Amino acid sequence: MENLKITTFSSMASLWSKISPVLPANEDQFPLQFSDKVELSVVEMLQRSRKQLYSDITSSSRLLNAQIILDISWEKLNTGTWRHVDKEWRRVYSYGCFFKVAALCCESPSEDKILEAVRTCDMGLIMGAAIMGDILQVIVRILQSHIRTLNSTKEEDESERAEVKRIKIESPLVSAIKEELAVPRIRCPSLESFKTNYLLPLKPVILEGIIDHWPAFNKHPWSIEYLRSVAGCRTVPVEVGSRYTDEDWSQTLLTVNEFIDRYILNKDGVKALGYLAQHQLFDQIPELKDDIRLPDYCCLGEGDEEDITVNAWFGPGGTVSPLHQDPQQNFLAQVVGSKYIRLYSPEDTGKLYPHQSQLLHNTSQVEVENPDAERFPEFAKAPYLECVLQPGDVLFIPVLHWHYVRSLELSFSVSFWWS
Amino acid sequence: MRWFGFGFNAFGQIRVQEKSGRGESSSAPHQVKVTHPAELSCHVDKSGCCLKTSQIRVSWSRRASLHLDGDSCLNLAGFGESVSSEDCDRIETWDLQKREKSPSWSMDIKTHAEGSDVNLPLVPGGYIALKTPLYCTLPGHLKARSLALGAEHAVLLTATGAVYSWGLGSHGQLGHGLLTSEEEPRVVEALWGMPMTRVATGGWHSACISDGGDLYVWGWNESGQLGLPSRGLRKSQQKSSQQTGELCYDTSTPADEKLKEEEEHEDVFISIQAFPALLDVSPSCEIQTVSCGSRHTAAVTTTGDLYTWGWGEYGQLGHQTVTSSDEPQRVEFFRAEQMRVLDVVCGTWNTFAAAVKEEVACAENSTKCTC
Repeated sequence: MENLKITTFSSMASLWSKISPVLPANEDQFPLQFSDKVELSVVEMLQRSRKQLYSDITSSSRLLNAQIILDISWEKLNTGTWRHVDKEWRRVYSYGCFFKVAALCCESPSEDKILEAVRTCDMGLIMGAAIMGDILQVIVRILQSHIRTLNSTKEEDESERAEVKRIKIESPLVSAIKEELAVPRIRCPSLESFKTNYLLPLKPVILEGIIDHWPAFNKHPWSIEYLRSVAGCRTVPVEVGSRYTDEDWSQTLLTVNEFIDRYILNKDGVKALGYLAQHQLFDQIPELKDDIRLPDYCCLGEGDEEDITVNAWFGPGGTVSPLHQDPQQNFLAQVVGSKYIRLYSPEDTGKLYPHQSQLLHNTSQVEVENPDAERFPEFAKAPYLECVLQPGDVLFIPVLHWHYVRSLELSFSVSFWWS
Repeated sequence: MRWFGFGFNAFGQIRVQEKSGRGESSSAPHQVKVTHPAELSCHVDKSGCCLKTSQIRVSWSRRASLHLDGDSCLNLAGFGESVSSEDCDRIETWDLQKREKSPSWSMDIKTHAEGSDVNLPLVPGGYIALKTPLYCTLPGHLKARSLALGAEHAVLLTATGAVYSWGLGSHGQLGHGLLTSEEEPRVVEALWGMPMTRVATGGWHSACISDGGDLYVWGWNESGQLGLPSRGLRKSQQKSSQQTGELCYDTSTPADEKLKEEEEHEDVFISIQAFPALLDVSPSCEIQTVSCGSRHTAAVTTTGDLYTWGWGEYGQLGHQTVTSSDEPQRVEFFRAEQMRVLDVVCGTWNTFAAAVKEEVACAENSTKCTC
């Protein structure tokens, strides 16, 4: 018993010894520079926290000061539209997260405090802007690996594997696709032929065989267990509700574990749909980024590689993205599970009844699989293509092409928006 | 009349920490959260007289007190140095960030001339904004009586008791039933026909009082600042009680199921109220004054009680806790001290109340100060 105590204590005490090397050596090496958009009174608070970092002030005093920084910058982040929030305030928010994490980890923290520190890093990564060489990303890696060493003895959940199997068996059968309306499929086309036959004429196509080399299919096959191990304690934004055009649709923040428990495995009997949608998960969790590759065909565009937006789309069967259009080219790669997708050409926009409001003008008012023929009489006349996207498929959705997506079972897709 | 403050005090804007007996420079940090209402120390002038504070204005990091008797002066407490000012018949704005020796904007005013009544931020012809351009004009036909400026919106009260609003509206703070912005003052139609006597704005919410003493509120309710049921508040209260549970070595973690169950049995929650709603602060109570902080609200009744609700994590609700509340609650401190509250002014995260002893209030009944 005595030995166990000592081992546990030393593995906890060493967390701070793993973190302090990545911090600036002292106050002088810790710059705090802001434009005059940030009031001097707020800078004063930041300076106080910086001073506390190198003193032996209690964790609770540090938390108090860090919280002041978080609270005032949170208010600034909620002032005006998100697009217009000054990047300086997002930096201040990240500093608040940083000081809070330092406060949580400085006094031999319990596992719950470490998880709170991970959550705090994620809030800074999602809402803030990179500071001190993206230090929150560096710290969260240290925290995750520390948690792994604490939990290395936990057995894999047998009952959970059975649960996931049950979900797979109970999934609805693949929708029957009409042959004449099917999106064409082509296997590993050359860059030239893709450009000539599909990119330039802006024609949708499913590319087969082009992501078979992804580690997500080979070295690290993506599964619930794998996602839990690599990202379980990480916080992500989740959309709750049937579709984003509904009144009771909302967004919330959950850990990946909570999302899987509640919306994939339905552990607490919740009826609502949850969708981890349109989130740059791969910027947040580099281990997952290593499991995917940028499709070569993106080089055919004019934009820079850095400007390509990669989003994760992870959710149970039944998630729906209403018919909408995006201002960039899209490669939608299917990794786990399958999705029913319908495509309409921008030429037929007139028959698709887009919303009038500025916010939703890129979204159709029509429920694609249950259209109201009285309100939207022209819709039935609009020609379309459809497909069921399977693991290993990549769908090319040309710019401004209308698309509707419904997952048929537990699904994980990766989208690449490029120009 | 005595002023009391509670809430955010990280800059000593409510109360400066007592210096240690050894006479060292006060590097002792200020008590960040003043949860017990603290009386503001009075300002002493050159001749040693204690000056009456007649008005207070509060920002996030400072408190400004106006003293009108004797040599009238303005004093600042909180972040940075004090600024003293001389008599003048001008309106001046000073940028405290830049620490310049002259005002960033000024306007001469003719005292005692008709239409020269200054009710800041209203000035002749318009108002003074919180950021550049400092001086904004207002259409003359509005006959503005008072103006409240929030973080991103403005609410105006006219001479006839009509309410106008403009600015950003994404949290319903304009009261037009929409989430869109208005560039020009637009009348709040839902209040049309009911003359209002006071308007107040918080960070993302608004309030006004009718001449019958009814309080109307609208805008964001994420911390219960409208006094309406707030889902965000209940959720975070459940989360924090989970965490305290863990601190007490309670090994059982309340399951998510329990949370969900409780939510489903609750009434309707309101996170954004886009039209003015009548708030029953307390049964059969007339409201005299209302003021809003960034996410909390304070109201004084005609019977001298102070009620507060909304975000309370810095002690700004005055209930000697650091919890938030979506239900108006009376600040019992004043009753316990047999004091009658006459006025309330909210800073971003704190609250200041002016009160007199009950006997004094009775004696001065006919000459009651209403500032």
